[in-house]
Amino acid sequence: MKKKQLLQKIVYHVVVCGIGLLMIYPLVWMIMSSFKPTDTIFTTAQSLIPETFTLENYVNGWKGFGKVGFGTFFLNSGFISVMATIGTVASSSIVAYGLSRCKFPGRRILFVFMLVSMMLPAQVLMIPQYLWYQKLGWVGTYLPLIVPFFFATQGFFVYLITNFIDGIPRDLDEAAKIDGCSYYMIFFRIILPLIVPALVTVCIFSFIWRWDDFLSALLYINESARYPVSLALKLFSDPASSSDYGAMFAMSTLSILPAMLIFIFFQKFLVEGISTSGLKG
Amino acid sequence: MKNNSIRKTLEKESAAGIVCTLPFTLGILLFILVPMGISLYYSLCDYNILSPPTFVGLDNYVEMFSDETFFKAIGVTFFYALISVPLRLVFALIVAMLLLRTTRITGFYRAAYYLPSIIGGSVAVSILWRRMFAVDGVVNNLLGLIGIDTRFAWLGDTRTAIWTLILLAVWQFGSSMLIFLSSLKQIPTTLYEAARVDGASRPYQFFHITLPLLTPTIFFNLVMQMIQGFLAFTQSYIITQGKPMNSTLFYTVYMYKQSFEFKHTGYGAALAWVMLVIVGIITWILFATKRFWVYEDGV
Amino acid sequence: MKKQISLVLAGMMAMGMLSACDGNSGGTSGEATTETSDGAVSLTFSWWGNQVRNERTQAALDLYSEQNPGVTFDAQFAEYNDYWNKLATASAGNALPDIVQMDYSYLEQYASNGLLVDLTPYIENGTIKTDNVDQTILDSGKSGDGIYALCNGINAPAMFYNKTLLDENGITIKDNMTMDEFLDVCREVYEKTGYKTNLAYGSDAYIDYYCRAYDEIVYESDSLGVSESTLDAFYSLYEDGIKEGWLIDPSVFAEVTIGSVEQDPLVYNSSPDTASWCFLAYTNQYAATKSAAPEGMEIGITTWPSPDPTKSDYLKPSQFFAISSDSANPDEAAKVLDFITNSVECNNILLAERGVPINSSVSDAISENLTEEDREVITFIDEVVTPNCSTISPPAPTAASEVYNLNDLLIEQVCYGQITAADAAKQMLEEGNPMMAG
Repeated sequence: MKKKQLLQKIVYHVVVCGIGLLMIYPLVWMIMSSFKPTDTIFTTAQSLIPETFTLENYVNGWKGFGKVGFGTFFLNSGFISVMATIGTVASSSIVAYGLSRCKFPGRRILFVFMLVSMMLPAQVLMIPQYLWYQKLGWVGTYLPLIVPFFFATQGFFVYLITNFIDGIPRDLDEAAKIDGCSYYMIFFRIILPLIVPALVTVCIFSFIWRWDDFLSALLYINESARYPVSLALKLFSDPASSSDYGAMFAMSTLSILPAMLIFIFFQKFLVEGISTSGLKG
Repeated sequence: MKNNSIRKTLEKESAAGIVCTLPFTLGILLFILVPMGISLYYSLCDYNILSPPTFVGLDNYVEMFSDETFFKAIGVTFFYALISVPLRLVFALIVAMLLLRTTRITGFYRAAYYLPSIIGGSVAVSILWRRMFAVDGVVNNLLGLIGIDTRFAWLGDTRTAIWTLILLAVWQFGSSMLIFLSSLKQIPTTLYEAARVDGASRPYQFFHITLPLLTPTIFFNLVMQMIQGFLAFTQSYIITQGKPMNSTLFYTVYMYKQSFEFKHTGYGAALAWVMLVIVGIITWILFATKRFWVYEDGV
Repeated sequence: MKKQISLVLAGMMAMGMLSACDGNSGGTSGEATTETSDGAVSLTFSWWGNQVRNERTQAALDLYSEQNPGVTFDAQFAEYNDYWNKLATASAGNALPDIVQMDYSYLEQYASNGLLVDLTPYIENGTIKTDNVDQTILDSGKSGDGIYALCNGINAPAMFYNKTLLDENGITIKDNMTMDEFLDVCREVYEKTGYKTNLAYGSDAYIDYYCRAYDEIVYESDSLGVSESTLDAFYSLYEDGIKEGWLIDPSVFAEVTIGSVEQDPLVYNSSPDTASWCFLAYTNQYAATKSAAPEGMEIGITTWPSPDPTKSDYLKPSQFFAISSDSANPDEAAKVLDFITNSVECNNILLAERGVPINSSVSDAISENLTEEDREVITFIDEVVTPNCSTISPPAPTAASEVYNLNDLLIEQVCYGQITAADAAKQMLEEGNPMMAG
């Protein structure tokens, strides 16, 4: 019996590790390339391990452009992503609660709108959005990159949390109502603690998506000192003349780190979420 | 006295609903409706961005019927979405099940599996993905190891190029996995304990407890991934640009080319609205099937 | 409960903070020029480019601010494709930067839609001095009757080749090769070494270059000014190349970013069947190509092949600077253009990174500070191209971008053996002409 369990364990880890290696191989390639001299990256693309190991790409990349170092871009990205994520989590959870738990006129329309707003490609909205934000006087500031997220404009998250709240038994609400809780108190006291795993998921997604987003930054940020990482990364390549792929890989590698840390930090809460599930059933 | 009555009104169910969803209502009015309206107007105009639009009625929509590339792009997009989405979901579910166990090392595993989804659609991804499938790339080298010696150009063949993009979609399965993972966590362990006491086998537990309780999440992922699948842009745009011979030309990439490269911005907007209708219908069909397979109450 | 409220509060505070930020930075938003009460001027200046260009341009602008107290710059730079998206979007909102870097292929679009300022008055009143500038170079910024953009560097089509490989096999290359001479080299290289040829795959310019030999302009204003027989001959190059084996397989280009110097088959691939012995590029890509070449590969430079090299070849503005009509201060912007064109100090910072300076006395003055490659390029332009070239084709109209795409697709189909060269020629005219007519 014990032997069998051990065998199972070994098989499990071998399988998981094996697929895992396949998953991260391309990234390992990128990270390794970032330590190769920039002019040898493509000529030695076949071999994973750098022949000569260099940190030059990191030094060059970190210098940034003009007068702005890459550190500034990281701070900018961090600010935008954290702000937008706070907005998304706060607004999406309360909106999702309203949609899931309360019957009110217009609920169906809102629900449909939530879905429809996801169905128009972002590229086609570029110009209309630009014109609108220009009317509001927001072009050149971070406002278009942050404020809309405080209004639950990402239907994906609202729908995700709605789904989670739908899965929570209504007996809990009923009991609380009998105890004299209002709808708002039920949200804060009962629902919110129960949807922590969903909120954690939202935090991770939102942070990473905001971190990777570059289209809105391209349109609305004019000053180079305010560029986020996603936009700055593209500046290493110029198809019309020369590109510094080494520096690009180096900074791409660094740019994964914050998202990675966020993920590792938050996924622990995902595990803790298990304690709440005892309430169900 | 007056305060009290306001409070009472606010505490009604319908009032609570309106108050809670107020941010979203405002969001729609402020940030969604106006840009959508402008783009709908553009779809009825001859517009090249650089000079003001002129109204032409339904011309742009009529033009689509005689546009071969439009039909080609629709075909490619349907193929891509209908294959990559189910594959991605199955893979995500399997991995989520594998990583459900809480051992010290699963945190690390989860990070490793999620890593590809973190890097998104940067230039670096396009370069490394093309390296993987190059004639002298990793995929052919791996095939060589198992005895298939080939110098096949995966990206250069009209039959296989789209599959490299599908694989990329499957590779970046992290978001679905995470959602599965967090709702798997929601399933009460007591259910499994009870089943084990009754002597139920692992597969039985999976098909009779896990899967039914997971159907709402599967439905959610399916709807979201379908929408995203039909609107997929980055993969095709940064890796293949529709090559070879438009065999990987995603609908949105075509729309983008029309809007920005060819400066047929009005036509591009019309393309987008047609896509909205298509995706809308598909979503509606999915919702219509919901009651047949999604297990909603009685948790 | 407390936690959640503090979360919401944090969010609201953040909103407050943001609007505060907004207040501070109001000056840099959207609209181009801002003039403060003491007469100080801030100009937005935008370009595309890489790290080197970003740094040098920024330094040159700093120098201008130093010499002209009160003038400051808001530098905006982006990657090439992003740059044009951003510019188009800004033009929709009438918020173009004061000074924009312009490309020859976009010049007509922007000028004909009235988005650029005519520079003729500034040239006439001497704000922008053009004494030492060749008239044809100046005219390259023309659209209709006005000069809407000022060239900031001279460029020429140039073919780079693997000199080491050719030397080893006793193959010599001469400048101003005709098409037949070039094809002979292609075949010889393929027979002796197995290396193939990349015949400007994915290039918008080569079809125009080729057809110029027959006095035909591909992208005329409302139609394609090219005959079916010329097109047939052009597409036949690809058809024959694939049949005879010396043309590089189109699938190779699916694995790279077309146009990126570092990923061109000349320097990118190592095995002969996916590598090319030549690369049809422009002179300003010479240094980049050299540094991207693997160790031990010497790079040679010559002209693009054509049935009639003298008719085909041209000097090309590598790019321009233009003043947008959204600018509130075009006079000051014109002074900046003069500075870039005529200041030796400025060009000692820029160091011909955008191409050879158009003011001949400036280019002489800075030549000793240039790199070896840059000097080679200047010699090439002066001695090889200039004596044997004709005026560049007029800038292509907006509709041409759709025809570029069609041409790419047709070459692709010919190379994949889907259609014959004759079919391609026919289709180009049948589908291309309605596109040009709009």
